[in-house]
Amino acid sequence: MQDKSLSYALLVPAFVVVLATTLYPLGYSLATAFREWDLTRQIRPGAFVGFDNFAYAFSETGFQNSIWVTTIFVVVSVAVTLVLAMSLALLLRRKGRMHTFTRIILILPFAMSPALIGVSYRFMFNPEFGVLAKGLAGIFPSLAGVPWLADPNLAMGVLLATDIWHWTPYMTFMCLGGLASIPKETEESARIDGASTLRIVFGIVLPQMKGILAITAVLKTIFALKMFDQVVTLTGGGPGRSTETLAYFIFNVGFKWYDMGYASALAWILTAIMMLISIWYVRMLISDKKMATA
Amino acid sequence: MIKRFYWCVERALLFMISSIILFPILWMFLTAFKLPRDAYSISIIFTPTLNNFLTVFAEPWNLGSMVMNSVIVAGTTVLIAVPCASLAAYSFSRFRVRGRKFLFFLILSTQFIPAVVIVLPFFLMFRDLGLLDTRFALIIVNLAIVTPFVTWMIKGFIDAIPSDSEEAAMIDGASRLRVIRDIVLPMAMPGILTSSIFCFILTWNEFLFALILTRRDAVTLPIGLVSFRTEHGDLWELMSAAGVMITVPIFIMALLIQKHFTRGMTAGAVK
Repeated sequence: MQDKSLSYALLVPAFVVVLATTLYPLGYSLATAFREWDLTRQIRPGAFVGFDNFAYAFSETGFQNSIWVTTIFVVVSVAVTLVLAMSLALLLRRKGRMHTFTRIILILPFAMSPALIGVSYRFMFNPEFGVLAKGLAGIFPSLAGVPWLADPNLAMGVLLATDIWHWTPYMTFMCLGGLASIPKETEESARIDGASTLRIVFGIVLPQMKGILAITAVLKTIFALKMFDQVVTLTGGGPGRSTETLAYFIFNVGFKWYDMGYASALAWILTAIMMLISIWYVRMLISDKKMATA
Repeated sequence: MIKRFYWCVERALLFMISSIILFPILWMFLTAFKLPRDAYSISIIFTPTLNNFLTVFAEPWNLGSMVMNSVIVAGTTVLIAVPCASLAAYSFSRFRVRGRKFLFFLILSTQFIPAVVIVLPFFLMFRDLGLLDTRFALIIVNLAIVTPFVTWMIKGFIDAIPSDSEEAAMIDGASRLRVIRDIVLPMAMPGILTSSIFCFILTWNEFLFALILTRRDAVTLPIGLVSFRTEHGDLWELMSAAGVMITVPIFIMALLIQKHFTRGMTAGAVK
């Protein structure tokens, strides 16, 4: 077979799978987003309502709340995860038995099911018998009896903690990979010239890590925007609506209230946000490659 | 003196980090072996028991059937996604296909579609077809998330293989398909295996799809966890036992690919 036709033939199976499993549902939900469809009353899509579902979203408190919750969640989790991952990578790139050990176990939080992480943090932060709630109260007596998951801000804090615990390892691996790919010479000569470690890190290492850090940040943003599993198993969106992320809100609209039209519109709003970020991301990947080959 | 001080600080930091990583996991493992009365205390001295494991595998929890569902769903997803993805990854890596950038962008961008968008239409379709609560339904939607991701990952691994030996073999008259089978495939195998395990982990831990598409027959392990939340409160010792069952196979796989994983990650991200 000619290379040219082969090159396309090889792409066919993957594209069949991708088209059938993502583009078809995307189209279907876009069509539904412009219709009125309450699944408890009708089994077929109802009347065409134009942009009503979208307009409704922006006038409704549930949506506004979930946008606010998601924004806070994304900003804090991306910032903390990134700083931790970069610091960890700087610490772990050195040789040593404990370094190697830590690098190995780093994969465990990442491999753990997010739903299970939510469950186990819920257990550990139970004010009556949770080991972390008790332990923290032992160290800081003022924290005794704090209702971790019943307070809006603390519940958000615990939710963030589960996410940071889950994702920091993966991001650390990416930073470690980045560190391994930058040339060592400048760093070494600076060290011989007597530059301090801090100056080397901020003056030489971090500037060269810009590309990797940007990619890591965008990836983490995407993952944080999808936050769902731990919301279900840890807080259930509560107390009140204080941890109701956009993904969880859409789930409620679609599968608790069965408002398919509105849920589809909301899903498309989330898709639009993520698509914008991903286009930016892919652009960055391409320009980054240009820089690397230049 | 100062060097010695740094050395101590570094050890202390590493110890702290390892503790933060391991503590929640160890606590779950401990709780899984506790009697109900011990589960509600934070003591680490207790009489260990295997009862929790017996209980979760018996009626009414039936963890066994969830294990089966999880194994079949994750296994089949890998068996479909990885071969498709490997072929596409080779094509993306070695050929200058017209519109290649656009196609690769299409593959990548699907990665960023929120799962809720995908599951909503499928929920309606499977409801019409009477396929709700089947493993088949779960496999189909899981493919949506996993296929683009593995394509991207395997492409990173194939990019890292030098193409010299392929070109040499083709000059000697070997066909492209033979080159793929006899040269590329063996060299890409570690990468493909790593990606397969990665894909298995993703599907095994998948929660949203299973929550929406399953009720009773096709329930997977992560959803099983939620069922230990009863009207009598949360049954922590049983949840932990189920948690151990979810975690152990995945931890073993994760540790197996740990070395390649770091490389695969960065290869996919940088190239």
